[in-house]
Parts: sequence; structure tokens; C-alpha cells
Amino acid sequence: MITLSNVLVLAALLFCISVAGIFLNRKNILIILMCIELMLLSVNMNFIAFSYFLGDINGQIFVFFILTVAAAESAIGLAILVVLFRNRNTINVDDLKSMEG
Amino acid sequence: MISKAEILILMPEIFILTLACLILIVDTFSQDPLRRVTYYLSQLTLVLTAVLVIGFSPEQTVYAFGNSFISDGMSVVLKTGVFVISFFAFLYSHEYLKEHGWLKGEYFVLGLFAILGMMILISAYSLLTVYLGLELLSLSLYAMIAMHRESTTASEAAMKFFVLGAIASGMLLYGMSMIYGVTGSLELGTIATNIESNGDNPLLVFGLVFIMVGIAFKLGAVPFHMWIPDVYQGSPTCVTLFIASAPKLAAFAMAMRLLVDGLQPLLNDWQGMLIILSILSMATGNIIAISQTNIKRMLAYSTIAHVGFLLLGLLSGTPSGYAGSMFYIITYALMSMGAFGMIILLGRKGFEADELAHFKGLSERSPWFAFIMLILMFSMAGVPPFLGFWGKWFVLKEVVDAGFVWLAATAVFFSIIGAYYYIRVIKFMYFDKADSMTAIKASKQMRFALSVNGLALLILGLMPGALLAICVSVLSIAA
Amino acid sequence: MIEQTVFYIFSALLLLSAGLMITVRNPVFAALFLILSFFSTSAIWLLLEAEFLAITLVVVYVGAVMILFMFVVMMLDINLSALREGFARYLPIGGMVAISMALSMVLVINAGEFGLASDTVQRHGADYSNTKELGVALYTHYLYPFEIAGAILLVAIIAAITLTMRGPRSSKAQKPGEQVLVKSTDRLRIIKMKSEGADSEPEKDPLAESKLAQSEDITVKKESL
Repeated sequence: MITLSNVLVLAALLFCISVAGIFLNRKNILIILMCIELMLLSVNMNFIAFSYFLGDINGQIFVFFILTVAAAESAIGLAILVVLFRNRNTINVDDLKSMEG
Repeated sequence: MISKAEILILMPEIFILTLACLILIVDTFSQDPLRRVTYYLSQLTLVLTAVLVIGFSPEQTVYAFGNSFISDGMSVVLKTGVFVISFFAFLYSHEYLKEHGWLKGEYFVLGLFAILGMMILISAYSLLTVYLGLELLSLSLYAMIAMHRESTTASEAAMKFFVLGAIASGMLLYGMSMIYGVTGSLELGTIATNIESNGDNPLLVFGLVFIMVGIAFKLGAVPFHMWIPDVYQGSPTCVTLFIASAPKLAAFAMAMRLLVDGLQPLLNDWQGMLIILSILSMATGNIIAISQTNIKRMLAYSTIAHVGFLLLGLLSGTPSGYAGSMFYIITYALMSMGAFGMIILLGRKGFEADELAHFKGLSERSPWFAFIMLILMFSMAGVPPFLGFWGKWFVLKEVVDAGFVWLAATAVFFSIIGAYYYIRVIKFMYFDKADSMTAIKASKQMRFALSVNGLALLILGLMPGALLAICVSVLSIAA
Repeated sequence: MIEQTVFYIFSALLLLSAGLMITVRNPVFAALFLILSFFSTSAIWLLLEAEFLAITLVVVYVGAVMILFMFVVMMLDINLSALREGFARYLPIGGMVAISMALSMVLVINAGEFGLASDTVQRHGADYSNTKELGVALYTHYLYPFEIAGAILLVAIIAAITLTMRGPRSSKAQKPGEQVLVKSTDRLRIIKMKSEGADSEPEKDPLAESKLAQSEDITVKKESL
């Protein structure tokens, strides 16, 4: 039997990996965007686990909406990335320092 | 099943969505470089939706769509506030975009969608609608910032806002999933009753921490404030103006719905978190703002300081405290809109008046607008009798009543530090020589709107009772 | 027992691919590892009886979103070496943050009790349709969020088009009107350079360089016309 805490621990580990990924790849925005997808995946895992163990469909509905919104979000994120690349010719976060203070 | 009454309650949202789609199509066929049809239709939509919101405002709190939508006094007042502020923001934006020559019809369409997102967020009564409203709002804002494609700072600001915003949404969702897991429900009302009946659970606090990160980010409270200075400075001024005004009302509503409507039984836990966020925000905002030379960046740090003040009212945990916060956020939105409006007024094609030095000698160039700026700055600093003073006064009174005298003293201390940089702007305007004496070139509407904006702060400041009475009455019913 | 084994296999695969995703050098590999983590997640979701979402994850995420990522990776000509420079520098602090966070999260989750959730789940029979249940809930109880999701997708479309579309480029015909109006200063840029000493390398002929600059300038201008 899979237990609830099994799945929750898996989701928590996934969440931590995604946070670590954001820390480690601070320079590469593309990887950061992928890490955000990973973070949402761990949240979805939580919701599905709760939905299964509570016997309640609402959690799955929430996941359905997160998937939809995340797809829209990544489309806009990549569009902004393309605009940024055309302007700066880089996606290196360290070069994004035109504003300081 | 969905009843007719539920559809009627949702009328304003349905109306603005339909009109936004219509305007999108009309704009595609428009040949006018000034986008007059798009602009006037958008403004008309705002006015009509405001009429609908007030017209359909229910006598008592109404829930619809399986309790995922709430219409109460707070939602009506905040939505009306959003419409008034957005009306001015669109007006300023149209002037700005015309002058700087990258007017696009999509700007107003996305603006309307952002306003729809704010409405949904304000009326949200389940975790799902909070999330969806928030995303609709943020996605529109990301696109509005990046829309000036030739500007490197704008795309940079959009990217930073996007990445940090997406991470914050992820955190918020993680917290929501924990709350759902413990209480077994997405509705805020059911969550509150379930927590009350099942008692304390460490997992609730665990979820609350993540939710708090999301709320603090959207409000811009330290330590989740990193995006505010860069986004305010990098975005085109008209977008900064929009971001700095109306969405703050929605963020406040989000905090109210999640913390007060949903997690009220955890008051003791979130009160402590809010105290820390509040002190850090007031300290960081006020101290760093002093060293800024760019006025947009200075106003960004001043926003952070104001958010600290706003949280004071929330953390007092009483209906009158929430009313104080609501009063504060409405006055703040009016003030920051006016301040960014002044930057737009002084700018012209190829030139942004975003340095503090650009305000030097304004009293010689235009005594009237120097006076308006004086009102704005005094109001932000919290000098009586302007409106900003009353916001601070009510919030401080509630904090003292709640028994946090030391916190009120800290807040007063930091706001005295903060007064320095507002008064420095006034000193620049009245006691320094102007670098250039170019006359201010702005249309009649712009001058009129800005004058109304500034004078409103003075007039409302002379009689703050009415606005406060509204805030108190809607929140005392809710609680 | 079999169920548990399958769960552990796919969990291990998921964590491994997620770990590799954040550490590999090449963004293309990172995207591929992300796809692998989506696949293993979808297997776990099948175990948890969320069949519709498991399939959606593969169809929408692997099929659409990750392909979009791949397109962008290929479209942008990215300097890979520069992007990895800080990796070793951030590794200690990033690793520490992640490990301490993971430890505390796991401790809290194991310590907490979920009053309403029980570990004994009653399984649905073979005639149960997850898709149908989701659909019924979505189109009745969740009609309002469903409409909002539609608005969000519309915003995404509008935003993506406004941000990246660069106007129609259907015709490449000459525009005589514009060509006549062109002035020599629009096309030619005279660069003043200091003449370099005789000891400089022969191929660094200043004249040739300025000519090169001019001809480059002309091609650029022609493109923009």
C-alpha cells in the first residue's frame, strides 16, 4: 500500500529540488523556468495525493486548473524571454543589472 | 445547478469580460494611430461596470457558484475603488503612450483583463478562485510591462517580475495544498469552521507559512520585496502607475480573504508573522529610500514602507483594524497614482522625468503642479491635514488598541525617518534652481485629472470621516 | 506489494531525473530530463487513480509545453559556458538550503496528522470513470473557475502575440517612394579613426576596417528598409 505520507514526502523532496535548482542555476533563466514547472508539479502531486486519500474530487479539479494556468504562464514567460533575448542578446541573469540601488 | 440569481450577481464580471473581448476585436480593425475608439470604449466599460457593481450590490453578503464567489460590502467598495483608480490610470496611460509613441490597443485590453482579475480576486471565496484571480491579474501585468519591446529595462523588469511572481505563486499553491489536505475543503468558510472544530494542527501552520510568503510577495513586504524597486523603475511609467495603484487593493483583498475569512482561527500564528514583516518593511523601505536618486525607485521603497503600515492594521485582528487597513490602502493607491502621474506629466517624447533632479525648480516652471506635488508628498509623509495622515492615524490607533504600543512607537519612529525623503522632493521643487525652464507640455485632460487627483487628497483629508465610515461599516458587517 | 514497488521505482526515477535536470550543463538535456520527470509523475498519478490528469500531463506538458521550451532553447543562440560559471560557487549554499529545507519539510509532514484523510482508501470499481466525474464537477459546480481559466488562456494568447509578433512580412517588394527619399547620410557612416602606428599588424589596416564597417552598415540599413 502506498501511504499518504509516502507521496507527501516525495512531493516535498521534489519541491526542495526545484528550490535548489533555482538557487544553483541563478544565471540561466531557461532552467529557472523549468524549475518553476517542477515546483508546480510537486504541488500537483500534493493535491492528487490528498484527493485520493480524502476520497474527494476537488483536489483533482484544482490540479486541472493549475495545469491550465501553468501552461499559460510558461507561454507568457517564454514570450518575455524571447523579447529579452532580442534586446540584450543574453539570458544570463548577471547581465540584467541595468538597475541598481 | 446554476440559478438565474447567481448569474445576475456575476453580471459586472460577465459584462467586463464581454466588453474586453469586443474591444479586442474592434481594435484589430482600427486604423487610428491614437487608438481613440479603443481608449474611449475601455473607459466607457469601466464606468458602466462600476455602475453595474454598485447597482447589483446586495443588501447582505451573498455567496454564489458553490461558495466560490462572494459579494459583500468589502467587495463592492474595493471594486468601486479599483474602477475609479483604473479610470485615472487609463487616462494617464493614454497620454503617456501617445507622447512616447508606442500606443497599442492591446494595452487597454490587457488592462481590462487585469481589472477582471482584480475583481475575481476581491470576490474570491475559495482557494481556487483566489489562485485564478491572482494569476489572471499577474499574467496581464507581466505582458503590460514587457509590451514596450524596444526598451531593455522594461523587458528586464518583466522577466524579474515574472520569475519571482511565478515562484511566489508556487509557494502559495504549496501552502494551499496543505490547507486543503488538513481541512478537506477549498471553500474559505468551510476551512475556517473545520479548523475551529478540529483544533490546532502543526500542518496548518506549515501551510500558513507558505501562504504568507505568497501574500507578502504580492503586497511587496520585506523580505519578499526584491521585485518592487526593479519593476517600478524598469517599467514604462504608465505601467508602473497602474501596478502601484489598483492591484494593491486586490492584494489587500487577497490577504483579507485568506487570512481573515479562511484562517481566522490561526490568528495568533499569523499575527506574529505579520509583526515581523511589518517592522522589516517599514525599516527597509524608509531607510533605503533616503539614498535613492531615481524618483521611481524612491517611490518603490516608499511603497514597501507603506505596506509595512498597512500590515499594522491587519495584524491588530479586529474589524476596526481591518477597516483602518482598507482606508490606508485606498489612500495609498490615490497618492501613488498622483505621484506617478506627476512623473508622466513632466516627461515628454524620449525623456522620462524619473530623476529627483528633474523636479528641481518646479515651482518656477509651474507653481500649480508644484503645489499638487506638495500635497502628494505631504500626504505620503503623513502630514496633517492631508489624507495620508489620517490613514496612518487610524492604523496606529488600532494597533495601540490591540495592545501593541511598542509597535506603534516603532512605526512612528520610522515614518519620521521616512518624512525626510518626501520633504527633500519639496525642497528641490521650491528652493532649488531649475536645470531647464522648458514649459510643461500636457493636454487639458491630463492637467485636469492630475489636479483632481491631488485636490482629492486635500479635500478628503479635511473630511476623512465619510470614507472611514464606509470602510468601518462594510467590515463590521463582514466580521 | 507490487503497487508499492512500482511506486518506489517511479519515485526514484522522478527524483533522479529532477536532480539531473537542475545539474546538467545543456538546457536541451535539462528539458529532456524534465520530460522524463513528467512521465514518471504521470505513472505515479495513475497509481493514485487520477487517470485523466495523468494522461493530460503527458499530452499537454510533454506534448505542448516542453516542445515550446525546446523551440525556445533552439531559437535562442545561448552561450552555454557563461551560463554555468556560477554553478560551483552556488553549490554549497544551494545544497545546504535545499537539504535543510527538505529535512524540515519531511519532519513536519511525518509528524503531522491529517485528521480527515485516512490511509485506508476504498478503491473504485472497474466501471468507475474518473474523466466523467471530473467532467461533471467541472461543468456544474466549477463553471465559474472554468470560465476564468478561459480568460487566462485568452490573456496568454494576446500577450504572446503582442510580445513576439513583428508585423506582417508578406511582401518583399521595393518601395520606390522610400528609396527616393533616402539620403546618403542614412546609408553611409563615416568613421573617424586614428591611424595606427607602422608597427601594428598588417591585417589591422584601419582603412579596410572602416570600409568593412561601412559595408556592414549598408547591409543593415538595407535590411531595415
